[in-house]
Amino acid sequence: MSIALYRTASLPRPLIFGGAILAASLLLAIFPSVFAPYDPNAFDYAALLQGPSTAHLMGTDNFGRDVLSRVIHAYTIDMQIAVFATVFPFLIGTVIGALVGYVGGISETIFGRIVDAVITFPFLVLVIAIVSILGPGLLNMYIAVGVVGWVFYARIIAAEVKVQKRLDYADAGRAMGYTHMRIIFRHLLPNAITPAVVYWMTDMALAILLGSSLGYLGLGAQPPAAEWGVQIADGKNFMATAWWISVFPGLAIVLTGLGFSLTGDGLAEVLRTKK
Amino acid sequence: MRAVLDVRNLTTRFSTPTGALVAVNDVSFSLREREILGLVGESGSGKSVTLRSLIRLLPSIASQSGEVIWQGHDILKMSPKEVRAVRGGQISMIFQEPTTALNPVLPIGLQIDENLRAHTTLSHRERLNRARELMDLVGIPEAARRLAEYPHQFSGGMKQRAMIAIALASNPRLLLADEPTTALDVTIQDQILKLILDLRDELAMSVIFVTHDLGVVAATCDRMAVMYAGRIVETGTIADVFARPMHAYTRGLLGSVPRVGTERSPLMSIEGTPPGLSSIPRGCAFHPRCDFATNVCRVSQPVTETVEPEHDVACHNSLAVLEAGSPVQ
Amino acid sequence: MSDVVISAAGLRKSFPLPHGLIDRISGKVPLAVHALNDVSFTLHRGETLGIVGESGCGKSTLARCLVRLHELDQGEIHFEGTDVASLSGPARRAFNRRVQMIFQDPYSSLNPRMTVRVILTEALSVHAMRPAVEIPARIAELLDLVRLPQDSADRYPHEFSGGQRQRIGIARALAVEPEILVADELVSALDVSVQAQVVNLLLDLQQRLDLTVLFVAHDLRLVRHISHRVAVMYLGKIVEIGPTEALFAASQHPYTRALLAAAPELDPSKRSRKIAAKGELPSPIHPPKGCLFNTRCPHAFDRCYAERPQLTDRSVGHQAACHLTNFDPKDSLK
Repeated sequence: MSIALYRTASLPRPLIFGGAILAASLLLAIFPSVFAPYDPNAFDYAALLQGPSTAHLMGTDNFGRDVLSRVIHAYTIDMQIAVFATVFPFLIGTVIGALVGYVGGISETIFGRIVDAVITFPFLVLVIAIVSILGPGLLNMYIAVGVVGWVFYARIIAAEVKVQKRLDYADAGRAMGYTHMRIIFRHLLPNAITPAVVYWMTDMALAILLGSSLGYLGLGAQPPAAEWGVQIADGKNFMATAWWISVFPGLAIVLTGLGFSLTGDGLAEVLRTKK
Repeated sequence: MRAVLDVRNLTTRFSTPTGALVAVNDVSFSLREREILGLVGESGSGKSVTLRSLIRLLPSIASQSGEVIWQGHDILKMSPKEVRAVRGGQISMIFQEPTTALNPVLPIGLQIDENLRAHTTLSHRERLNRARELMDLVGIPEAARRLAEYPHQFSGGMKQRAMIAIALASNPRLLLADEPTTALDVTIQDQILKLILDLRDELAMSVIFVTHDLGVVAATCDRMAVMYAGRIVETGTIADVFARPMHAYTRGLLGSVPRVGTERSPLMSIEGTPPGLSSIPRGCAFHPRCDFATNVCRVSQPVTETVEPEHDVACHNSLAVLEAGSPVQ
Repeated sequence: MSDVVISAAGLRKSFPLPHGLIDRISGKVPLAVHALNDVSFTLHRGETLGIVGESGCGKSTLARCLVRLHELDQGEIHFEGTDVASLSGPARRAFNRRVQMIFQDPYSSLNPRMTVRVILTEALSVHAMRPAVEIPARIAELLDLVRLPQDSADRYPHEFSGGQRQRIGIARALAVEPEILVADELVSALDVSVQAQVVNLLLDLQQRLDLTVLFVAHDLRLVRHISHRVAVMYLGKIVEIGPTEALFAASQHPYTRALLAAAPELDPSKRSRKIAAKGELPSPIHPPKGCLFNTRCPHAFDRCYAERPQLTDRSVGHQAACHLTNFDPKDSLK
């Protein structure tokens, strides 16, 4: 699977901004200790619920933990969630979608019914149901999201492959005596994958939200781990008196989500097929 | 014969983010009463834009200069309201793709009626009769029934006939035809071309016929103007241009078409491809592809000269081309 | 020259129209577009056979059936004596290599995400035409053969004009050193001046590489120029087939004569106001009974509505499917 990046005179602006945000996020996720001023889990009973100050830029929580350090350390978990909760659905969905789109017929009918079944349930409710069966925790969350999430990718890819299959270059491949697998994965897929890649970027932003929601509900990352959703949940009782406990993790979610969305928009432009 | 339409130095530019593109460059021609003028060229030659420029049927990024004198008035100087009265009234247009040019959700009868209402003062009853007459005129059988049908119920040829019926509703004096037969099969094309010839005679209209097919020109037009890279390079009567082409491009085009007696021999082709609007060569735009090109062609744009009566050409080496002879004789 | 490489007998192909649940319940008969109605012909080594006809005559379906992009409903295609439908695995790949197709649309027939080099390398390596080390040299050779500049190799299809893309398509087909080229409307999407270049290239390549060509087109002038023999199709059937000379000079089917009369000639002095063929193409879903052309034929009589004429010999190698014989060559429709 090769995605040819076309040489463009200048990269689209959304990609530059989005890419910068994601690069910074990744840096924080990989080396949190380098950037965090304090140990994220160290209690400091001398500094409980302090507002933002020069010592604690984002203040402290009810255990005296530094909010900034916790927000930074949360990048490790939340970026992991963004990647692992989406990469498997993306890969599985792409392969299944490509096959369904190419073969059509009965496989398409069966797939259509699966799609109907999945989209009639609210996604979050479905994931919560599966996590409740499997038990809370990140790994189970990945499994739950994977079981449902591939359908969305497969649907996008199948529709696109179906369009590409009708173009002459697909027939040209068959007339050249190429195998079906070569035509599907070497010819059709690179031309069909762009919308799925763009959706993937959005999905990563959604995955962070989902991870945070599950964390908030106690079904995702488990306290005392630093995770944005957990942090927001921790701060919910202090909203009126210590807003900073919840607001800064919230802003981190927004900023990272923006990074993914901008990258998605920019990629869509760069990957667009030239006619 | 009197000229009904006089086009002088018509230039159409499109302003794009990457700069201005000149699609029609200093085009002049005149059209006489009851005359069919063929506007011939390949893709990007500006033939369709020229046609649309005549009635200002252009996107908002276009700007025009020059004169289009229609019955004593310059269309380019008219107010939008005046242009609308001329367009679809005295001057009608038919298009290449009848499928997209007709409104798919309205019955054909209603689409004819719409034009009658806009450009005539007939009563409802008279309009209905006129619509039936028009359908008969363009050769659509069972007019009364078919008026109530929708475009998708018509075949390609019948759609083109219906579009002609709509165009004729206002009794136009000039019909602009933009590749009206290109999308049709050859036997249907033959029917439509002959219909246009018959209508010209019956209704005493003038016609400007845009096409890339020299065969269609030979079978239909009285005079022709050959366009290349936004300019008219040669104008003349059909007989003159076919027998004595004076522009190397015209000669090359004629030689590119297979003809009887030369089976399986190489065609006289023109090397290279027509230039895009953003990369029109300096000097004579045709010189990179021209077998007759000399140094002067690379630097200076030839002016249009009347070399023979009614035969104009813009070529530095028109005499050499003339001497080389026509490939179709 | 008379060595038969492909023989097709009784080819039939129809494409069913959607037949939904409601249609089935209400007892509607399933409908189908009859694209090929009993087509038979032979293709001889080294010749160019032109297939000409208007839209919906089945000429493209025929081309696609020949390279097995469609499977036939009935009939057999034999390639060097072997039934093509029986081929599978390596034998089928070998057949696909030896019988190549070039497509009409220069824009959709090349993968937009592959450079010319990747496209050609793929063809060369899948069919193991050359060891990997010789591939770059062979690509240079192929580009030369179709007269594309050497720096084309590392560019993408969208960087080329329509005519150049058709050359890339030809290079891809030639990469696997085929014996037969099936060209479906090879130049109909191109500008007139570019058409001539591609036609010249095809003629030249055919001679140099000893190719057999099936040239499918709607343009009578082109088919006449390029072909040794011509088959005229109407509503999924060959109505006339014969040597180009004979077929054009003394056509023996009213439809061929109508096509000839309708094709505009490059001679302004040969104008006519007579319509070449009245009416329109009947629906290929419900083709007429009897002769397929009876709805438009100026000569149709009782027998034409009752009995479908079969191809019969008119002169050496010249066959027509018409109940009438002896059309006067001078009695042109013009």
